[in-house]
Amino acid sequence: MHIAEGFLPPVHAAAWGVASAPFVVHGVRSLTREVREHPESTLLLGASGAFTFVLSALKLPSVTGSCSHPTGTGLGAILFRPPIMAVLGTITLLFQALLLAHGGLTTLGANVFSMAIVGPWAGYAVYRLLRRYDVPLMVAVFCGAFLADLSTYCVTSVQLALAFPDPGSGFLGALGKFGSIFAVTQIPLAVSEGLLTVLVMRLLVQSSKGELSRLGVVPSTKGSRTEAEAVAR
Amino acid sequence: MLPIDVAAHSSRWRRRHPVDKAVLGFGLTVLAISLPPWPGAALVLVAALALLLGPAGVPGRRLWRAYRVPLGFCVTGALTLLVQVGGPDGVVSLAGDGPVRAGELLLRTSAASLGVLLFAFTTPLSDLLPRLVRAGIPAPVVDVALVTYRMSFLLLDSVRRVREAQAARLGHTSRAAEWRSLAGLGATAFVRSFDRAARLQAGLAGRGYDGTLRVLVPEARVSARFTAASCALLGALAALALILKGR
Repeated sequence: MHIAEGFLPPVHAAAWGVASAPFVVHGVRSLTREVREHPESTLLLGASGAFTFVLSALKLPSVTGSCSHPTGTGLGAILFRPPIMAVLGTITLLFQALLLAHGGLTTLGANVFSMAIVGPWAGYAVYRLLRRYDVPLMVAVFCGAFLADLSTYCVTSVQLALAFPDPGSGFLGALGKFGSIFAVTQIPLAVSEGLLTVLVMRLLVQSSKGELSRLGVVPSTKGSRTEAEAVAR
Repeated sequence: MLPIDVAAHSSRWRRRHPVDKAVLGFGLTVLAISLPPWPGAALVLVAALALLLGPAGVPGRRLWRAYRVPLGFCVTGALTLLVQVGGPDGVVSLAGDGPVRAGELLLRTSAASLGVLLFAFTTPLSDLLPRLVRAGIPAPVVDVALVTYRMSFLLLDSVRRVREAQAARLGHTSRAAEWRSLAGLGATAFVRSFDRAARLQAGLAGRGYDGTLRVLVPEARVSARFTAASCALLGALAALALILKGR
């Protein structure tokens, strides 16, 4: 669920664009450097972007019985790292705005901030923290994906509350209203996305250990550096 | 392919330069969010709708299918403006100016969405992406976006076929089976995307790949007449909105 076209006042839309810019520019610079040094990375990064786009198009059964779509930010951040996700997420959001009418161009900055920056960084931080304390991989993956999803929608609620403060109670009241619609209802969906990410990761560990070790998700065996490692850095 | 992209590829305005359509579509969007919602956004909404269904030739049903997606978010978001939290009337009460604010928001978002849809329904991404390099986007980022765009359709097709195969094997009959199938679908998409990337790389390496993806872009020139007419329309809409607002 992205903020729709024209939903934010122009000043807010521009401000969120400015807030997102340094992260996206940082991601673009690291991506450009990577592609210049290893031209073959273009294809792998493109494939990663397509995977993120397709992942966000999967229908996810919610524990409440309804249906939604995973954000894919948690899995993407764990696999490809947050700086790369900032660029891939921006490309994905642009495609979603132009190909699916999800989100928008004037709200791209706000959506990038919540879904391509805060979500991946929050999820990845929790994942790394838990892995540092030797928490099992799947528990760390669940927590990372859960928090990435939930933090995305919490930030969306904050963005909407800042744009439309409540006439009676101001920002906090608006945060309660938008949070109850866009964040609290997201808790079961975040649990669903966490579970799905664990299941996907479990299958990947069984079937694609080579790719995962190259991406640095599971301990790597000694071998040559490949383009996938390059993406992971 | 996705419905909006299919429509864009067969659009009457397909051969027009993306800049022509960007000036008109994004101009309408900018007007929608910067003019007073009434009557500014309302005028933009009518103009965008007339352009989409008239000169651009977008079928009404296809437009509605795409349009209802942002509309759903707008209605949900606008509902929150109808109530206020705290105040003399209780913990939750109807906001005095709630219906007006919600109506204005709906007008603004509806009009702004139609502006972007006008661009999206007439401009395939394959025409737009290669030209972004001239707009200052680094070439490697555009290349990654191009690969993402082209591979997305292959992956979506793979995912659709895997889902059909899962359904044929009773993969969606129970909640547990549905979860298993969904996980398999996600993992398959990952494996196939990496596999395709490896095969593409091998194929391109055999053709002397030097890190630049050269693609043929359909030739088109920026039409001074079309752009001038678009600017005139945008100017007229802005002037009309401000005159009507001033009355």
